[in-house]
Amino acid sequence: MATAPGVATPEEYVGDTLAREQTSLWADAWRRLKRNRLALGSAVFLVLLLVVAIISVFWTPYPIWRQGVAPTYQTPNSDFLLGADQAGRDILSRLMVGAQVSLEVGVGTQIIVAVVGVTIGLIAGYFRGWLDGIISTLINIFYGIPDLLVALILVLILGRGLDKIIFAIAVTRWMDMARLVRGQTFSLREREFVEAARASGTRPNKILSRHILPNALGPIIVQATFGIPQAILFEAFLSFLGLGVQPPTPSWGAMAADGFHAIRIAPHIVLVPAIALSLTLMAFNFLGDGLRDALDPRQKR
Amino acid sequence: MLSRRALIFLGERLVLIAFTAVAVSSIVFFGVHQLPGSAFLSDRRIDPAALAAIMHHYHLDLSLWDQYKLFVAGIVHGNLGESLVNRGIPITPLLLREASVSLEVGATALIFTIGLGMVLGVIAAIKQNTWVDYLATATSVIGYSMPNFVIASVLVLLFAVYLYNWSGGVLYYEVGWEGTYGTPGQILLPAFALGFPYASIVARLTRASMLEVLRQDYVRTAKAKGLSDRIVIIRHALRNALIPVVTILGPLTIGIITGSVVIENIFGIPGLGKEFVQSILSRDYNIVIGVFTFYALAIGLANLLVDLLYTVIDPRIRY
Repeated sequence: MATAPGVATPEEYVGDTLAREQTSLWADAWRRLKRNRLALGSAVFLVLLLVVAIISVFWTPYPIWRQGVAPTYQTPNSDFLLGADQAGRDILSRLMVGAQVSLEVGVGTQIIVAVVGVTIGLIAGYFRGWLDGIISTLINIFYGIPDLLVALILVLILGRGLDKIIFAIAVTRWMDMARLVRGQTFSLREREFVEAARASGTRPNKILSRHILPNALGPIIVQATFGIPQAILFEAFLSFLGLGVQPPTPSWGAMAADGFHAIRIAPHIVLVPAIALSLTLMAFNFLGDGLRDALDPRQKR
Repeated sequence: MLSRRALIFLGERLVLIAFTAVAVSSIVFFGVHQLPGSAFLSDRRIDPAALAAIMHHYHLDLSLWDQYKLFVAGIVHGNLGESLVNRGIPITPLLLREASVSLEVGATALIFTIGLGMVLGVIAAIKQNTWVDYLATATSVIGYSMPNFVIASVLVLLFAVYLYNWSGGVLYYEVGWEGTYGTPGQILLPAFALGFPYASIVARLTRASMLEVLRQDYVRTAKAKGLSDRIVIIRHALRNALIPVVTILGPLTIGIITGSVVIENIFGIPGLGKEFVQSILSRDYNIVIGVFTFYALAIGLANLLVDLLYTVIDPRIRY
């Protein structure tokens, strides 16, 4: 960030300054984010990925489950832009639907994690005492377990549906959000405006939802952005081990696992989903970095 | 160094670790008994009398609660029972051998993770905002955005396929595992794939804390009294920059354990991770519980090691 972000141009002082202060955090953050080319590029990539995923709901170049639409192990050519796999299925079509699966898992998990983590974090941070003691212990216990393996067993118990995989990943990954919100609430509850609200008789649930939550929203958004690639990674691991989404629904992890056996003769089968997965995770991580720098410039680096 | 208080602390922690291992294996015990399917499904034409005998042998004819009591009694004596699939094979010695294989690969990965991560992090911090810094930072973002099976695929492609073709079959990496412990050459690739994502995290942390430490007064003092840059960095800065790195050793251990489940399957390493996936697929409950018990012990011991390391790095911390 070259120029000082806090300095406003003269035009910005025109108009109702009070109203301006209300929106300035988000406007400021957006201005800073726009200047971060890596984060902006990542955001564009992710929007494109979302478009591809939505298109794949209605249309794919070839049916994803049909075998033998191309010669087996077909290398990329003009008919099959990304080639075909060991069963002669079109990889581009499967990659598109795989994007849909990955995004659903990533976003779905973070929605559950956000709801559960924020609620638990707010309660623990605001009421403290024995409630916080129990929640903190729970968080520490969950940090001490091999998360992926627990998710794996949960998927086996519950079944291999997409919703169950989302649930299993959320169960093993809610702590990051809960710990963050707990910490934020801890410091926010001591601030003057919260004290003023308390003194004027505002009920705790209103203090939490109207005063504390909006002020903790920045870090929550950043945490959710970093949580999405983690969840996508989890699903990829599960399906790489053959325990993810039920075939023939394609998943990037499962596609890579299929291709791994034929890596000597047809490396494109493993490389295509591997590159897609890495680029997506990278984009989310860059976007998360950018959002963090934009929303909390003091914490940069 | 080991005072009476330190010994008490150590004893308490060891008891806590043992207790956690029993608790974890208990939860998994009840969890896996909810799993659909059974290890004996493949024996469909089994004689009912023989099946009853097997069920009796494994105490599966008892109530879940009675089975649990027998299980806890066994675990206290270090006996995790017998494999359900390979009948009559006691689990504890089997898993001990596999744990030593996993430990061999995991420890190599850990050393590599910390070594590479810290070197990258320190270089990036010293050369802050130069192309060296950007390259190191970019490498680390790429590193933690790549799943370890992707790194493994790329490594196999590079060293087993392309290197083979390029050198005309003279120089190449043979994917596989010899004997129980493999050859040093065979350990290297899986250890790299296992450690690289975490090396990136270590690099990021080291860079951030090095930048913070290098600004401190005592570093300036050390420079002012004429010490060379190298001594200042190694003896003064790095020591304090190490603390956040040590903090993530616990999560790092968990990461390497879960990562090994994938990596051991890719490279055919006969360790705990490969056993875990195999026994889950064949519904060998007893082994699944056993592997989890081992993992709980490993994580507990790693966390204890982290706390002990704190006292070495920061003399102000005492237990």
